Amino acid sequence: MNVEEQIKDILARITRVDKTIITRESTFKEIKADSLDVVQALVAVEETFGIEIPDEDAQKFQNFGDFVSYVESRVPQKEKV
Amino acid sequence: MSLEGKLALVTGSGRGIGRAIALKLASQGADIVVDFFRHRESAQQTAKDIQALGVKAEVVRANVGDAAKIDELFDMIGNKFGHLDILINNAASGVGRPLADIDVKAWEWTMDINARALLLCAQRAAKLMKGRGGKIVSMSSLGSRFVLPNYTVVGVSKAALEALTRYLAIELAPQGICVNAVAASAVETEALKFYLNEGLVKDTRQATPAGRMVVPEDVANVVAFLCSEEAFMIRGQTIIIDGGTSVGLLALAGNREQ
Repeated sequence: MNVEEQIKDILARITRVDKTIITRESTFKEIKADSLDVVQALVAVEETFGIEIPDEDAQKFQNFGDFVSYVESRVPQKEKV
Repeated sequence: MSLEGKLALVTGSGRGIGRAIALKLASQGADIVVDFFRHRESAQQTAKDIQALGVKAEVVRANVGDAAKIDELFDMIGNKFGHLDILINNAASGVGRPLADIDVKAWEWTMDINARALLLCAQRAAKLMKGRGGKIVSMSSLGSRFVLPNYTVVGVSKAALEALTRYLAIELAPQGICVNAVAASAVETEALKFYLNEGLVKDTRQATPAGRMVVPEDVANVVAFLCSEEAFMIRGQTIIIDGGTSVGLLALAGNREQ
C-alpha cells in the first residue's frame, strides 16, 4: 500500500468517514476532521512512518494532498539514512 | 533558594508556562529535562536558553497522554541521569466544546494527558527520587472548581488532577516527596487563544483585582517556591494564582450594578 492509501486509512479510521470520499483536494473540514482528529492523525502517521511532523509544518497543510506530499517527501529521506 | 545539582523534568516546557518554569528552575541552578510533544523548535529554544544560564538541558519528545511514551521518557532519565529531584507535571491539552459535544475520544484524550499523566509520571518519578526527597508540582486550573464556557472536560480533568495531588501527597510523604499543584486563572500564553476569544481576554483582565492578567512568570515563581525547602510543610495543596479573581467575584458583581 502506498503512502497516500495508508494516510487515507488512518484519517478514515479516526474521523469515521468513508475513505473513498477523501481526495487530494479534500480539506480537513470536508473530511470532518476537527483539531483533535488532525492531531491524532498526525501522531498516527508519525508512528506509522517513523517521522516527526511539527505543528509548525502541519499548520501549512491546506488539504489532504499537502499532507500526503509532505509525508512522501520525508519518508524516502529517512529510508536513505 | 538554590537548586544546584538537582535535576528537574518539566513536561510541556517548549512554550508558555512550562518554559517559564523551566527557566526559573534553571536560574536557580537545576539541570532541566525539556519535554515536548508538538513543537520541537520551541523546545530546542528553551533548551538553548537554559544552557545559557550555565546548567544542563536535555530535550526529549514524549506525548504524556501515551503510557508507553511516559515509560520511554523515564527510562531515558533513569539511564542517562539515574535520578530525578523535581517533576513538574505541566503538559496539558484539551477539547473546548459544549458539554453536549464531548465524545469518548475528546474525554479520553483530555483525561489521559491532563490527569492520568500525573499518576503515571509520579509513579516513575518516585522511584527515581528514592532516598533524595523530591518535589512534584502540577498545573491545575481555576476551571477545576469554577464553570468556564466550553471548558467541561478540561475542568473535570483538572479536578481529577487536584484530587490525585492530595492522594499522592499522603502516599509519597513517607519518602520525603512533597506533592502540590497550582491553579492559575487565564494566563497570557499562546495556548490561551484556543480557549478565550479577545473579548473574553479583555473581560478577564478587567475582572482581575490585581489589575493585570496572570503571566507565566507569576506561575513559575510559585512553582519554584513549592520546589524549595521553605515549602516543606505544604502538602497536597492547590495554590491559586489569579490576582484575586476567584475571591473577588461578589465584589465584581457589586461593581457592575453601580
